[in-house]
Formats: sequence, C-alpha cells, structure tokens
Amino acid sequence: METDGTLIERSCRGRPDAFVEVVRRHETAVHAFLARRAGPQAAADLLGEVWVRAFAGRGGYDPAHPDARPWLYGIARNVLRAHWRARPAPGTATQNADPWDDVVDRLDAAARAGALAAALRALPPAEREVLLLVAWEQLTPAEAAAALGVPPGTARSRLHRARAALRLALQEAT
Amino acid sequence: MTQENPGEIARELARLGQVAAPEPGVLDAAREILWAAVAADMLSAGPPGPARRAADRPAGPARRAVLPGPARRAEPRAADQPGPEQDG
Repeated sequence: METDGTLIERSCRGRPDAFVEVVRRHETAVHAFLARRAGPQAAADLLGEVWVRAFAGRGGYDPAHPDARPWLYGIARNVLRAHWRARPAPGTATQNADPWDDVVDRLDAAARAGALAAALRALPPAEREVLLLVAWEQLTPAEAAAALGVPPGTARSRLHRARAALRLALQEAT
Repeated sequence: MTQENPGEIARELARLGQVAAPEPGVLDAAREILWAAVAADMLSAGPPGPARRAADRPAGPARRAVLPGPARRAEPRAADQPGPEQDG
C-alpha cells in the first residue's frame, strides 16, 4: 500500500485526486478528533473545511512522513481554533477564552467522570493538548509534537507533567 | 516510542474520549467539499495544450517585444504582497 506521503506527493504532481485517498484513510479519525473537542454537529460542519485547508496546504507536506495523521490533526486543531474564535463557548465573555470548559461540561455529562474531567479542566491547555493527542488519538509523543508544531522533547515533558497532575488529582479525589 | 501505559488514568481518559460514529452522510458530505476543491485545482491547471506548447517555444523578436520591462514587472509584484490586514 502506498504511504500517505507518496499519495500527497503525487497529488502535487498533476494528480490532485490522489489526495482523496488520503482523506478516505483518515476521515473517521479526524471526525472523531473534532467531535471529541467540539461535539458531533460542529465536527460535521468543520470536517470539509479541514480537507480543503489540507488540500490547499499539501505542497508543504514532507512526503518522507508516511502517516499524515499528525499533520491532519494539526490542521484540524487550527480549524477548531478559528471556529472557537468566531463562536465563543457559551458563557464565555471573550473570544480568546479557553473553550475547554464547554468541552468538559459535555464530556462530564456524557461520561460522569467528574474527577478526571475537573483535572483535565485544571491542566494548562498546552499540556492538555499533548495528553489528549496521545490518549485519544493514539499518537506517539513525537507525532503529537508534529501535530502541535513543537519539539518532541517539549511534547514529552508536557505529557509527563499532565500525567503527573492527573494522577495526583485522582489520588486526592479518592 | 513510549506509549500510554495501561492504567486507570488511560482507561478513564479513553472512556471520556469515546464518541459515536458519524451520522450517515457526514463523511461523504465533507468529501464532496474536497472534491469541489480538487476539481477547481484540476481545471485551473488545465491540460498541457497549445498554450503550454507555445510557452515552450523559443521566444522570437515579436514575443520579446511584449515582455514587460522592469518597471512594469514591479507593479503587480508590489500589489501581490499581502498587507497586515490580510494576515490577521
């Protein structure tokens, strides 16, 4: 099977339709990424925007990377941020507010994991992002670093701090 | 590469992150949006037809006569530069 990198490279060299195969491979995962963070309705609304942005930016993809998921998650993250800037979460006063409160409320209601949801809410956003890319999207720390555009060592240290904070919070809650 | 250790936190996080499969048609609809972009890209590229072959020909005196000089070249380039408003 051809790698994502090969397909994206081909899509840049006269076969733009090759990009659709990359999308078919990862559409369920990217939809889940969006749905976990913004809910199913927003995920449905934003998924097409992710594909269009990825297609427009495919010339910047390094074909040496066989798996496009970290790159696609990075684009999906930017689409989400634009979405949140344009439409702040309910109850937030400013457009720069952390939308995580709204996300936690929805997760908490759905999963009834109050202590963990509260601990996630208390994490710095940068640490929370790495943790959830690893725990939810099954990325390695290096892949999460690529998705976030930070050095791998930075992602690892953020992940370490996030895990430690969650462990402590859950110990205190029990 | 170190992966998430299986444990209580990992299990709870995974449970928190469970989402339903997308509604029927959601993935197709998003792919349709992509196809529109792909089609536009293919159309804008155009087939390697007469225009491209003409461009490959060595330029003769008449072709040189219509090439923009330095002053004419500078105008569109300056206009193409994105301003701060476009970045933000």
